[in-house]
Amino acid sequence: MKICVLIKQVPDKDSPLSISDNNLSISESNITWVANESDSYALEEALQIKEKQSGEVVVCTLGKESAQQIMKDALAKGADRGILLSDPAFENLDILSTAKAIANAIREEKFDLILSGLQSDDQGNSQLGLLLAELLDMSHASMGMGTEMTGDSGIKVKRELESGWFQWTELTLPASISIQSGINSPRYATLKGIMMVKKKTVDELNAEAVGGDSINSKVQLKNLYIPEKSKETTFIDGSPDEISDKLVDIFKNEIKVLN
Amino acid sequence: MNHSFSLFEQVFLVVGLLSALGSFAFEVGRRIDVIATGTGSLPFDKPLQRIWRVIREVLLHEKVIRGRLLPGLMHGFVFWGFMVFGLVTIDHFAIGFEYPLLSQTAHHLYSFIVIPFSLLVIAGILYLAYRRFVLKPVALGKMSPTSGLVAVFITVLMLTYLFGELNLSNTVWKVNWWLHSLMILAFLFLIPRSKHLHLVLAPFNIFFKPFDQPDHSPVKIDMEASEEELDKMLSDLGKMTQNQALDIFSCVECGRCMDACPANRGGGILDPKHHFILDLRDPILESGNVDVLSQVNVEAGWECTTCQACTEVCPVGNQVEKSDEIRRLQVLVEGNVPQEYQKLFNNLQNTGNTEGATSSSLVERLPKYTPEMEYVLWLGCFARYELDPNFTTSVENFAKILDTAEVSYGILEEEHCSGEPANRLGDKLTFAMLREHNTEILQNVTKIVSMCPHCVVNLEKEYAKYGQVSYKVEHHSQVIGRLIEEGKIAIKVGDNGKVTYHDPCNLSRMLEEVDAPRTAIQSVTDQYFELPESGKNTLCCGAGGGLWWKKETEGRTHLVRAEQVVDSDADTVVTGCNFCYGMMNQGLGPLTPEGKEAVQVKDISDIVAENLL
Repeated sequence: MKICVLIKQVPDKDSPLSISDNNLSISESNITWVANESDSYALEEALQIKEKQSGEVVVCTLGKESAQQIMKDALAKGADRGILLSDPAFENLDILSTAKAIANAIREEKFDLILSGLQSDDQGNSQLGLLLAELLDMSHASMGMGTEMTGDSGIKVKRELESGWFQWTELTLPASISIQSGINSPRYATLKGIMMVKKKTVDELNAEAVGGDSINSKVQLKNLYIPEKSKETTFIDGSPDEISDKLVDIFKNEIKVLN
Repeated sequence: MNHSFSLFEQVFLVVGLLSALGSFAFEVGRRIDVIATGTGSLPFDKPLQRIWRVIREVLLHEKVIRGRLLPGLMHGFVFWGFMVFGLVTIDHFAIGFEYPLLSQTAHHLYSFIVIPFSLLVIAGILYLAYRRFVLKPVALGKMSPTSGLVAVFITVLMLTYLFGELNLSNTVWKVNWWLHSLMILAFLFLIPRSKHLHLVLAPFNIFFKPFDQPDHSPVKIDMEASEEELDKMLSDLGKMTQNQALDIFSCVECGRCMDACPANRGGGILDPKHHFILDLRDPILESGNVDVLSQVNVEAGWECTTCQACTEVCPVGNQVEKSDEIRRLQVLVEGNVPQEYQKLFNNLQNTGNTEGATSSSLVERLPKYTPEMEYVLWLGCFARYELDPNFTTSVENFAKILDTAEVSYGILEEEHCSGEPANRLGDKLTFAMLREHNTEILQNVTKIVSMCPHCVVNLEKEYAKYGQVSYKVEHHSQVIGRLIEEGKIAIKVGDNGKVTYHDPCNLSRMLEEVDAPRTAIQSVTDQYFELPESGKNTLCCGAGGGLWWKKETEGRTHLVRAEQVVDSDADTVVTGCNFCYGMMNQGLGPLTPEGKEAVQVKDISDIVAENLL
C-alpha cells in the first residue's frame, strides 16, 4: 500500500492575525506556524493503515521552505519520505493550480491512496483532495470519519453527513479521501522517530519540475480585509406608550422597514 | 535454674536454626540480587544526616506516629518491644546450647525491663489486629492472613516469654521454651516472604532515601548519539533505579500513600500503593530484573499531580511516585500522549511558552533586567500570559513590595517556560530545549526571584541535575519574609478576617519552605489558623504535574482541596503559587453554599501589599 498524505503549514489558530501593508497577505511577523489540524488526522490514519497493511507513507506539501518543519514532524511520526513543492512562483496559487502542481509532482508515484485533511485552517478551500482525484483519475470521498481496507483493491469510508448522520461508502483504489478532524488520536513523535528523521529524504521540487508556466492562477486576489464590525445601540426611554411610538417612528423613518 | 538439653534436642535446634536462617538469608539474598540489577547506585553521601534520619524515623518512629497517632504508637510499642527482646532472643537460644549469655541475676534484672515491654507489645499487636480485622480501614487493602498469623506469632512469643519467667516445673518450662523457639523460627521463615520484610529493609531504605524530592533520574538526550546508544538509552528508561527497587521490597502495605493521594481522594483510579509499588513486586521478583516500568498502569500515571504527598507520608522511606517514569516512556518511547498535552508541547516548542502566545502585555509594563539590578524577576507562563487574569494584580503587588523596600529587579523579555510542564509530563526533549535556552539567558545572572514555585524547583533543582547552575533562585515568599524580618518594609496588622494558608506542594515539599510564607502572613493578620492538612503534609490543589492543562479529568482531584478550604470557614485563603491561586479561584466559587460569602483568594504578595504602611 502506497499512501500519500497531503499536509500544509498554516498559522496557529491562536496567533494574532493582521493584514500586511499590501492588503494582499497576512502579516507574518507574529505568526506561529503549525501543521494544519485535519492533516494531522490524515497522517495518523495513513500511519495506522500502513501499520496494518505494510507499505509506504509519503508526505507531500506545497509551501515555503519553512514547511520543512511540519515535514520533519511528519517524518518523525513515522512517514517514510517527503515531497516539498516550493517556489516563489507558488505564492498565492489558487486551489486548482495547487492541485495541478501536486498532481504533476506525484503522478508517477502511482499512489494507491491519497489522504488529505478536510480543509486547511487558513484558506479553507476543501477542494484539494477532490481535484486531485479528478486530475489523477482516482475515486473520491470527502469528510472521512473512518476507514477500513477491503482487501488490496478497495477501501470503505465512513463519511460524515449532516445532522449527525453517517454513511459508509466503498471506493475502489486508487482513491483520494479527505479526512475529518477527530477520526483518530494522532500520535506524538517518539524520540527514536525524531532521531531517524535525518536518515529520511525530502525531495524538493520547484515550479519548473511540476509544469512550469502551465501552473498559473486563474484566481487573482484583489484585496484582503477584516470585516468591519459596528455596533450601534440606541436606548429608548419613556413610558411603554412613548417607547412604542418612538419605535414605530424609527421603523418608518430611520430604517424604513414600515410604511 | 540451670536447664539441660539432650543431644537430640540440640541437633534439632541446630537444624531448625540453620534452616530458618538459611531460608531467611536465601530469600533476602534473592531480593538483593534484584536490587543490584537496578540503574544508578545507592547513595552514601552525608552519612551523619542519613544516620540521624534513621534514628528519628526508625528508632523514634517519628513519621509512623505523626501520620497515624494511635496505630503509630501501637506499632511503636511492638517495635520498641522487639528492640528490647533482641538480647532476650539471643540469650534464649544460647540457653538451648547450655551457654546462657546472661547470668541468672542479669536475666532477672533485665526482666524488669522486658516484662513491661512485652505487655506493651501484646497491647500493641492486639490493637493492630483489631484495627486490621475489625475496623478494616480501606487503605490496608484486602484481608491479609499473613498479618493475622504474625499477630498470633507475636502474641504467643510474648506469652511464652512471660510464662517462662514464672517458677515452672522442668517439663512445663521445656515445652514452653520449645514453643517460644518454634515461633521465632517460623517468624524467620515468614519475614522475607511477606511485607514483614520491612523490619529488615526499612532502616536501610530510610538511610538511602534521597534528600531531594522528587528524585527522578535525569534523561540526558544526545541528538548526535548513534542508533545503538539511543536504543540503550531508551531501553534503560524502563528500568528502575536500585533505590526504587529497594523501595518495592520495603513496602509495608500500610496505604498511607493512598490516603494522601489527591487523585485517589478525588475519585480517580490512581492508587499509588498498588500502581507505583506493589504491582511491581512480583514481576521483579519473578523475572529477576527491574525492567518493569512499562508495566505500570498508564492511565493512573497520567492522573498523578506529582505532588509528592505519597513519598512524604511513606513511613518506610519510599519514593513512591513513578509518574515521571511512566510518562517519559509514553512520550519518548511510545508517542502515546493525550491530545491536550501534544498541543501544550507544540506550544512550548514553537513559542517557548505554554499558551502559544506571541506577546504579553504584562511584560511591557514591568522593568527590564539590567546587570546592575539585584534580582531577575522570573514571571513564568502563568503570570506572563495571565492564565488567571486576577493574578496580574498579585504580580503588581509583589512589584510594589520590592519598590517599597527599594530592591531592584527586572524581567527578562526572552524568558521561556522553565520547562516544568514538559518535564513533569515526560517530554524530556522539549524540557531540554527550554532548559538550554534559559540556561543561556541566565548565564550572567546570580539572583532570581519567582512567584511560581514550579519555576523555582525547575530552574534550580531540576536544571542542576543536568549541569551546574550559577544562580540562586528564591521564591517570593522568602524575599518578602526576609524584608519583613529585616524591617525593610513597614506593615500593619490589618482587618483581614479569618485567614488561612494553603501550602503549595512545590514550595512545601520540594523546596521545603513552610516558614517564610507564615512569617509574612502572620505579621499582617491576627486571626490566622492552619488548614487540616498543612506544611509538608499539605493537600495538592490539583493543578500539579501538568494537570492544569488537562481538559477533562476523571474524578474531582481539582476540587478536594478547595472543598476543604470552603469547609474551614476562612474569610481569606492565602496561597504561594500561581497555579494554586488559579485552582482556588476556579473551585471556591461553585463550591460555596448559597448565602455564604465565597472565600477570598490572595497571594502572599497581595495580603502583604494591602497592609503596607
